[in-house]
Amino acid sequence: MRASVAIIGGGIQGLMLAFCLAERGLKDILVLDAGYWQGGASGRNGTLVRPGFSSVEWTRFFGHSHRLWLGLSRRLGHNVMFSRRGYAVLAESERTAAICERMLVVNGECGIAARPMTREELRRRLSPLVQTGIKSAVFFDAGGTAPHHAAMKGLFAACQARGVTLRYRTRVTGIERQGLRAVGVRLGHELVGAHNVVIAAVAHSPAVARLAGVELEGRPRRLEACAIEPTRAFLDPALALLDRTLYLHQTARGEIVGGCEVEGDTAGLTLASDLPVLAQYARHLVEMIPALADLGILRQWAGHIHATADLAPLLGPHPDCHDLWISAGWSYGIAGAPAAGDLLAKAIVTGAIDDRMAPFAVDRKQRGKLIQEGAIVAIN
Amino acid sequence: MTIDGGESAAAERVTIHWQGRAIDAPAGEDAAAALFAAGILVLGYSRKFHRPLGLSGVFLAGVKGHVEGLPNQRVDLTPVRAGLALRAQNVWPNGRFDLQRLARLIPRRWLRGGFEHPAWLPGGSRRFQIWESFLRLMAGGGDAVEPNRPGASLPGERLMADVAIVGGGPAGRQAARRAMESGRSVILVSRSSQPGAIAAALGADLPALPDSVLRLAGHEAAALYRQGRLLVCAPRAGGPAKLIEARQLLLATGRLSIPPLVPGADLPGVLELRKAVELIQGHGATLGRIVLIGAGDLTGVGRRLGGLGANILAMRPAGALRRIEGRQRIERAIFESGGIGCDSLVHAGPWRADPTLPFQAGADGEFRLSASRLPPHIEIVGSAAIPPEPIAHGPALDDAAMVCPCMDVTVGEIRDLVAAGHDHVEELKRLTGCGMGPCQGFPCWDLLAAALAAITGQSAESFGHPSYRPPRGALTVAQAAGLAHLVQPEREP
Repeated sequence: MRASVAIIGGGIQGLMLAFCLAERGLKDILVLDAGYWQGGASGRNGTLVRPGFSSVEWTRFFGHSHRLWLGLSRRLGHNVMFSRRGYAVLAESERTAAICERMLVVNGECGIAARPMTREELRRRLSPLVQTGIKSAVFFDAGGTAPHHAAMKGLFAACQARGVTLRYRTRVTGIERQGLRAVGVRLGHELVGAHNVVIAAVAHSPAVARLAGVELEGRPRRLEACAIEPTRAFLDPALALLDRTLYLHQTARGEIVGGCEVEGDTAGLTLASDLPVLAQYARHLVEMIPALADLGILRQWAGHIHATADLAPLLGPHPDCHDLWISAGWSYGIAGAPAAGDLLAKAIVTGAIDDRMAPFAVDRKQRGKLIQEGAIVAIN
Repeated sequence: MTIDGGESAAAERVTIHWQGRAIDAPAGEDAAAALFAAGILVLGYSRKFHRPLGLSGVFLAGVKGHVEGLPNQRVDLTPVRAGLALRAQNVWPNGRFDLQRLARLIPRRWLRGGFEHPAWLPGGSRRFQIWESFLRLMAGGGDAVEPNRPGASLPGERLMADVAIVGGGPAGRQAARRAMESGRSVILVSRSSQPGAIAAALGADLPALPDSVLRLAGHEAAALYRQGRLLVCAPRAGGPAKLIEARQLLLATGRLSIPPLVPGADLPGVLELRKAVELIQGHGATLGRIVLIGAGDLTGVGRRLGGLGANILAMRPAGALRRIEGRQRIERAIFESGGIGCDSLVHAGPWRADPTLPFQAGADGEFRLSASRLPPHIEIVGSAAIPPEPIAHGPALDDAAMVCPCMDVTVGEIRDLVAAGHDHVEELKRLTGCGMGPCQGFPCWDLLAAALAAITGQSAESFGHPSYRPPRGALTVAQAAGLAHLVQPEREP
């Protein structure tokens, strides 16, 4: 087989890109993944989707992505269960309150619906939440959640229906180059020629890039999340608490799913979960939503992101190798996947780099063009 | 020295309430057994098909209920006390007049994978928000907690010993004695408040525990972290969790009898052997006409049960059972040779050890967690070390049999997914929800592997199992929060 595009990584980025390329009429698209379907970050994330941030770059990109999420079920012909139940970003310090102020200004400039929450609305929408420490709150009425199993199921079926070849449990062992160009991928003894090669392998992306003899900045970071035993509707909007790097929501199945980060957790590429994050997350919950204190924690799990210097994705052509494209560095991957698939497919097919994607260029760190974004829920 | 889980052994009779109905029950005993003894067998309902579930000794959705208004509590771990109010969950508007029962009329094929995916209500639309509200009503476990319910962290405790033992049965006690005799300090964690009582009733020799053993009775071993160096356990009746660090860890967790993979194997009245013994001996429950099935020779077990006063109609190999029939509880057991009307079915084998803690001790991996061998400081002792026995099912695996009764995953659903190319257990878990309910994988992933083996002709072991994730409901948010000051993140060397 000779592929028009060989995509390394069959998570939501890889599948979304394959689907967008197929929508544009491309044939012979190949998706390869060393793990099992839904086994990586796309099956382990918190599923939160918000359209707006505090920088113009993030907000223009994720605003576009959010609009695409709203129509994705119709495009795929499968229900991705995007729930526009609202998304609240909460600040508990002067520092993060200032970020919230900035979010409102930036979102207004970018045409994204974001508004401050009044005390009364906070009490009404978030009645289980301890309100005394909240200094500022921004609400996205159309933000919400996208359960990853539904999106992955829809994308898998839509890709198959359009003739995309999906190969899981298939490890790429090499990326073939001819001079300055990437010309194929090696799967053990098998060589597959490709006009374009895309790296969308989350935490493994830097290692995969080295197979082509090029570097990608950033390193793997382990994140953990957990689910509390299901109850009927208790919490409607999705929540992000900037100061605590805490995020959570209640799923349609009733489980409260969320997580946080703990300073100093640097354990490497293992999926084994550990106790500090579970305990710290539980402590945040007891402080902020004490009504959950006596409920059991059903399960805890770990996953990996690819943390770049500014925690923004690396999107676009690789500067040191022709026909090698990158969709890596994701920490808000589920929120950004529709835009990344759309704009990267456009770039691969037409050669045009959309100005919403351009700020996320792969070599921005070397060029001193890191993006300042303070409204992300992560230790930076 | 004993740190008790909070249960007492008084025999005074008090009044408790099940769905508002007053029941006379002995104080201190477990509430699910007291309800069973009072003839109330249906305590819960499965997630999608709304099938009745009850005390089984195996599947947990049947013993999850509201206790004093708090959802998802283990009714079988709740001691009877005067005025105790219990309610079933996953019912609407209430357990006595339950409209969710109408879910039984929905063709089962429509509910595969969940209620979630109808394409005519696309996500992102406003219509979907109405549908999602309905989903949240139908799929919720218990009622939501009161938003202003108070809660606080329960500061945990760190305990150290030379040897930590999980399991207070004969093997755990034997190991504890041996360790004490060699001058080492011992912590023994046991799920039961009277560890070993059931084994003794079944004729096992129960060594006495030296007084110097620190006993954590009524404590569930919730999780192992860091290659098994950290053991987290928590009292089942509430109270602070403990973080145990020991030079040596012995897992003496025993084995569970797994019901055959046939339709009806989760009906109320189908009981694991030890649960049956506990009901008869500890609670004076009558099990009526009993059919006893199992692996291997059943005469010894039959004699023991008979000695306790049980009325055994028939004894059969587990592999001969074809299905179990009944509406709200077991009414008939159907074998290849014909049906037997009965009130209870007790299964005594095939026996399998819970793989959760050994898995968590050895688990590692970048693409998939797997545990190839135990760390050197951990040993599995007693019957838990015996290799798992094959799960019984009829010659033709029945599509109506439940692989995961709590989440309503049928053999038919698995069969169709395999035909569509999904034969990886982690993918099947994500597609069906198998093992994502209150049991968190044991024994449902054993049943899944048995179903896959029967469908594909490959060995059950070749499929492995998904990750056994901690802490499977055995740690509350308040208990976990109380461990935050006891543990720091590990740094890379």
